[in-house]
Amino acid sequence: MDDRRRRFEAQALPHLDAAYNLARWLSRSPADADDIVQDAMLRAFRAFDGFRGHDAKPWLLAIVRNCWLSAGTASRRRGLTSLEESMADEGPGPEEAVIQAGHQRRLDTMIARLPADFREVLILREMEDMSYREIAEITGSPIGTVMSRLARARTLLREFVKEGA
Amino acid sequence: MSCEELRNTQSYLDGELTGAEAAEAERHLQSCAECQAFAASAADLSDGLRQASRHTAPAHLRAAILARLDKEPSRFSPRSFWMGAAGGAGVSALAAGFALLALLPPSIATLTRSVADAHARALTGGKTIMVASSNHHTVKPWLAAHAGLSPPVSDFAADGFTLTGGRVDEVAGRPAAVMVYRHGNHELDLFAWPDRGADLPGAGMAHGFRTSFWKAGDLDFAAVSDVDQAAFQKFVGLARAQRE
Repeated sequence: MDDRRRRFEAQALPHLDAAYNLARWLSRSPADADDIVQDAMLRAFRAFDGFRGHDAKPWLLAIVRNCWLSAGTASRRRGLTSLEESMADEGPGPEEAVIQAGHQRRLDTMIARLPADFREVLILREMEDMSYREIAEITGSPIGTVMSRLARARTLLREFVKEGA
Repeated sequence: MSCEELRNTQSYLDGELTGAEAAEAERHLQSCAECQAFAASAADLSDGLRQASRHTAPAHLRAAILARLDKEPSRFSPRSFWMGAAGGAGVSALAAGFALLALLPPSIATLTRSVADAHARALTGGKTIMVASSNHHTVKPWLAAHAGLSPPVSDFAADGFTLTGGRVDEVAGRPAAVMVYRHGNHELDLFAWPDRGADLPGAGMAHGFRTSFWKAGDLDFAAVSDVDQAAFQKFVGLARAQRE
């Protein structure tokens, strides 16, 4: 294994779950997320010589987001409601698990209902623990925009929770 | 939303403010009912979001990626060999630097890492508690006997932070008393050790744990946990406000 591959596995590959989580939430489809992440990891590997940071996570997530944007046109053409697809892969379980899964599914549906601009800042902040600056870099928006989208996303989600209760 | 500081309060709760800005936001939060309500609902929302799915990459995806990386042409160059060698030298110089640091009073960076390490060590070893009790009358004398320290010990169960016990641990090579609290599924450690006049770090993060430091009386304190920012701030507020 050459040195670049070793560095890539040490610095970028540990963020594979984060990459997949973001791709899942952006695309709302397991199949699309698979394609986006494969594409993103390959692009990241090819560009890795140019990576000069100490934390590869925001760098990798920015690539994932770009891959999602370029894949977007293709999946829109397919015209499928990927949300339904992603909800179909959960089978029945014991009663408690069903209640738990039901609660989780409702919450997931509410997050999925958020417009993409709001959804991505919320996922990056609340699940991936990215700072405002990192979110700004990943999404290519000013920090002020990140802050207002985050506030709006939280307000919207709170409204969804209230309605959906 | 009418308070003009709400956006700033959000930044504070998200851990974006440090130093004087953070202190200013904290002061405002203490006095503004609207921002307090906002902080509480932000904490609820964060807790709620923990139950949403954080998807993990399926095994087949990981395997597919590794297989595709295998097919990428390897670009071995003599330069990368020398860079690797230089990296090795850098690492040993760094290790020597750390050895030197151990002789000095703990630096600010060392302290943040040291309490986060101690917390992580206790969590992974399953040994967070040496004396299990929610009664401060039990925990306090135990700590006095075993750590030689008598920090204030309070139960904040009414505010959502239940005292579950205490232990003796080590921070930057010196013994520390630890009060252990539970908040939902999360554990919070409150460290106390004799103040040796060292500067303390500001609020920070290490290994994914939030940390906060302060001095009170002749003791230094540190709170460490992986709870969300709003809950962490609340806990720090309670811990700082307690009196003997």
